[in-house]
Amino acid sequence: MIDMIISILLGSLTAMVPIVLTSTGAVVSERAGVVNIGYEGILLMSALFGAMFAEMSGSPWIGLLGGAFVGMLLGMLHGAITVYMKGDHIIPGIGINILALGVVAFGITAIWGTAGQHQVPSNIRIQPIINTPYGGLSPMVLITFVIVFLTHWVLFRTPLGLRIRAVGENPEAADALGVNVERYRFLATVYGATLAGLGGAYLSVDWLGVVTKEISSGRGFIALANMVFSGWNPIRALIGGFIFGFFDNLSVWVRTNPAISQVVPWQFVATLPYIVTIIIVAGIIGKVRPPKWDGRPYKRE
Amino acid sequence: MEEVPIIEMKGIVKIYPDGTKALKGVDFSVKKGEIHGLLGENGAGKTTLMKILSGMLPPTEGKIYVNGREVRFKSPADALANGIGMVHQHFTLVEVFDALHNIILGMEGHGLFSKIDVDKARAKLQKLMDELNFQVPLEVPVETLPVGVQQRIEILKVLYRNVDVLILDEPTAVLTPIEVKELFDVLRKLKEQGKTIIFISHKLREVMEITDRVTVLRKGEVIGTVNTNEATPQLLARMMVGRDVVLRIQKPPKEPGEPILRVENLWVKGDRGEDAVKGLSFEVRAGEIFGIAGVEGNGQTELIEAITGLRKIEKGRVILNGKDITGRPPKELYNLGVAHIPEDRTHMGLILDMTVAENSILGLHWNAKFTGALNSIKWNTVKAYAQELIEKFEIVAPGVDAPVKSLSGGNQQKLIVAREVSKNPELIVASQPTRGVDVASTEYIRNYLVKLRNENKAVLLVSADLDEVLQLSDRMAIMYEGQFVGIVKPEEVTEEQIGLMMGGIKDES
Ligand SMILES: Nc1ncnc2c1ncn2[C@@H]1O[C@H](COP(=O)(O)OP(=O)(O)OP(=O)(O)O)[C@@H](O)[C@H]1O
Ligand SMILES: [Mg+2]
Repeated sequence: MIDMIISILLGSLTAMVPIVLTSTGAVVSERAGVVNIGYEGILLMSALFGAMFAEMSGSPWIGLLGGAFVGMLLGMLHGAITVYMKGDHIIPGIGINILALGVVAFGITAIWGTAGQHQVPSNIRIQPIINTPYGGLSPMVLITFVIVFLTHWVLFRTPLGLRIRAVGENPEAADALGVNVERYRFLATVYGATLAGLGGAYLSVDWLGVVTKEISSGRGFIALANMVFSGWNPIRALIGGFIFGFFDNLSVWVRTNPAISQVVPWQFVATLPYIVTIIIVAGIIGKVRPPKWDGRPYKRE
Repeated sequence: MEEVPIIEMKGIVKIYPDGTKALKGVDFSVKKGEIHGLLGENGAGKTTLMKILSGMLPPTEGKIYVNGREVRFKSPADALANGIGMVHQHFTLVEVFDALHNIILGMEGHGLFSKIDVDKARAKLQKLMDELNFQVPLEVPVETLPVGVQQRIEILKVLYRNVDVLILDEPTAVLTPIEVKELFDVLRKLKEQGKTIIFISHKLREVMEITDRVTVLRKGEVIGTVNTNEATPQLLARMMVGRDVVLRIQKPPKEPGEPILRVENLWVKGDRGEDAVKGLSFEVRAGEIFGIAGVEGNGQTELIEAITGLRKIEKGRVILNGKDITGRPPKELYNLGVAHIPEDRTHMGLILDMTVAENSILGLHWNAKFTGALNSIKWNTVKAYAQELIEKFEIVAPGVDAPVKSLSGGNQQKLIVAREVSKNPELIVASQPTRGVDVASTEYIRNYLVKLRNENKAVLLVSADLDEVLQLSDRMAIMYEGQFVGIVKPEEVTEEQIGLMMGGIKDES
């Protein structure tokens, strides 16, 4: 029993990382008023390029940084379109997601010469800092905690955070006080995408150790949903991500446990992470209000 | 030698991207330490000129000098750096932030990543507020505060930046008489401190009282600058409009008819769950203007929203023409002949990003007159209708296809009034109908309300402008903390008595 609990807990922490990182990034971006639905694509592409950088350099840490770098570039693209060119916020995200499908399918073949899947050699994967018989704990889990708390602190305690929130709530007010709306919106967008990039590389060079065409399996979208449930709050997004990870693991355990899966259909169990995350996170916070200028370009005239 | 003006604008031309020529070569100069009034009809270009001065808008042509030195502002930050700050006609507050954070935004102290020193900022602000005797609660979200307080926050925001020139775009439009007095005390103190103030208002009385000089704009051009002590309201009105303005309402006596609206023991809650309207009963009869005066925030908003179907009624009944309409939705009320001019034009009256034509049929869009096959909207009919409103009410708009946000504030208000009174209602509920509207149009709107009354309609008028209520009402109620202190005939009371009643004191004599 206890071993099951430990193993599920470890599994939850492991599974939570990409969702929490992406949600946290999305919180910052949307707090500044920029919607990005391209995180799914960013996760995918960073998983691919993260693994590539890791193998080229021989260091998984370079791989993680490389993934974050790819996320940053995509964030700059999204920011340039939405913030500086005052474009629509949804369409570039769709573009990034579609682009990723092609880039990753093609990239796997072009880089490694295999079709559809590539196994990352175990010597260039991130090694756990704690090993137990029931599984390991990646340093990325700790890094995720640090990122979340730091982000939360910056967002709610510092001038930078105040400005980010102001340009997402009422850019006109910020502008009238001499706050450079475009600069903070752009920065926040890039930060959001960078965190997603880190999460994507984590998938390939740490947790799963493979690159596949479906490696992100919807986590970019789940992260967005989690961001909404969190009420655009990094710490609540962390909790939401953990709950999701927990039930995700629980459902895997139920599915592989014949005694239970004969009684409860596994398909039902597979929906549990989604349903429970919604109920718990939404139930705790109740009514949430998105940033007022979320997804709206700001022009002076 | 002539002293160098603190502000000098020369040959300012502004053409908006849609081709509207808002300013046609304006010369404007302000002396250091004066309170300079800026007057002009709705759409004359006052806001545009001041937005240029405060760096919000680039001029198409023209030069700006501060203390004789030419400047070029790319953003409000540049203007602030040159000591010029503006309080906008439409508030620019981050509604979910408290006053403190709204004020310090952009000037939080050193280091983007360091913790904001809230205590230090609070101390600095408290000192500023004490100096001016101008208090606001610093730690509640500003959206929960009344407009008068929000206004103060806007002013503190600019003063916190230690500006030399303070631009106030219609600051008094949303204030009660007492608040206006308090504001003027602050402005005088600021003047003593050597600050320069540019003051925009449509209320000639205020301009006469507070300013040293006045510049009048008309249709994007300067008509002239006069010393206030050499001016009269009549002169200023004539400069603004180009003709004599009567500033008087013709209101023939009239015997009211049957009750149109009856409110019985009405209880309504406010946004925070408090009882905002406490057991009100009154009626408005055909051919009568029933006015409600009172300091804003005493339940007027909640009362109006309850009557117009926008807010839940806890207890009591609302009866229109003998029919119980308690809790009926706005659409049904409209069909029964209720029109509503809401107090807050940008949130409730208009959809700013939609065109003039679209806005002109809001609430009428299912009307058979405007719909064709499959309920599709007949846009040509709608546009013709909008054009008609524009002409009839002399609304200054670039065209029926222009977004409403490109209209000046007063013209937005006129559009709402035009739309609502044209619905040919039985009962018209008018909340602050002339807020931000220039003298000539105010006269027009007030006369129109009287005309509706003469045509045997019922008018329920709520206004923070006591003069307006006194002038228009056949009977008026003074509202205080959710109840009527009394219902009186305007000609039978003195302003003093009303002042007391607005404070909740009933004169028993
Ligand atoms: N963003 C815009 N785009 C196009 N035209 C505009 C825009 N803003 C204002 N205008 C037009 O410029 C003219 C001047 O407007 P402005 O707001 O300066 O008037 P105002 O004098 O402040 O009037 P009010 O007393 O009603 O506030 C008006 O005709 C208005 O329709
Ligand atoms: Mg204006």
